Amino acid sequence: MENSLEGSGERKLQCSDVSKCFQLLESILDGNNVPDSQEILKSKLAKCQPCFEHFHLEQAIKEVLRNKCTKHEVPSELVANIRQKIEEIK
Amino acid sequence: MSEVQRKKYTEQEKNKIFDGEFMPHIDSMYNFGYRLTFDEDDAKDLVQDTYLKAYRFINSFEQGTNAKAWLFRILKNSFINDYRKKSKQPSKVDYQEVETYYNSDDVDYSMTSDLRVDSVKDMLGDEISNALNSLAVDFRTVIILCDLEGFTYEEMAKILDIPIGTVRSRLHRARNLLKEKLRSYAQNMGYNTDEEG
Repeated sequence: MENSLEGSGERKLQCSDVSKCFQLLESILDGNNVPDSQEILKSKLAKCQPCFEHFHLEQAIKEVLRNKCTKHEVPSELVANIRQKIEEIK
Repeated sequence: MSEVQRKKYTEQEKNKIFDGEFMPHIDSMYNFGYRLTFDEDDAKDLVQDTYLKAYRFINSFEQGTNAKAWLFRILKNSFINDYRKKSKQPSKVDYQEVETYYNSDDVDYSMTSDLRVDSVKDMLGDEISNALNSLAVDFRTVIILCDLEGFTYEEMAKILDIPIGTVRSRLHRARNLLKEKLRSYAQNMGYNTDEEG
């Protein structure tokens, strides 16, 4: 797996608190305000294999969703229709 | 939408807010509408309706605050109150699936997926899109808000009128369901989803 070459041998294979760790990792990945997020992330990903895998999988899914599911072109007449309706209710 | 009318904007101020703070979000709004309804005309109606409501209630919007979240909340409410009611096939979604998940209090974070990062990255737009579209609307919505639109949990809680803890758990459940769908696509594509693969 990419990024897993360095130090993967030092990572523990079992996470001691999957629920807490995964929640925290998802909060950080989702851009929520988590104190010391960069330090936490660096440490967890370096030390714990399940955390490392979970984070990178969630990150990859988030990226493909964002890149491939946001490209619906707005119908050209929509903006004009909205403006026209607004003029009518003014 | 707050019923409290904070202040009265002049016509000029209204236009400035509408053009400067509301209209720039039309792409996201249309995408949200389309992902909720799966229909171009319905999405257009929903977005148009949302913008008309936004204009009508513009005095309850505080200039400079999060316009995108405010608009998304109106669209979500319009979808629930108007669209679903008049739809001929209301809520034809996997409610069984939703119920089963909602009735369990705890989120199972120990559930791991053998889906591989590489196979996710190689997936086609249609496969990702179909996987997202196959989720029940409440699960689909949290993924759209979080992953496609980048709202924080706090913003999502306000848009959806649910506590942050529910946002968090619903999102995690939605992601597990999405991973299941993606995993079956990956298997069909011939990717080995085993650990050793």
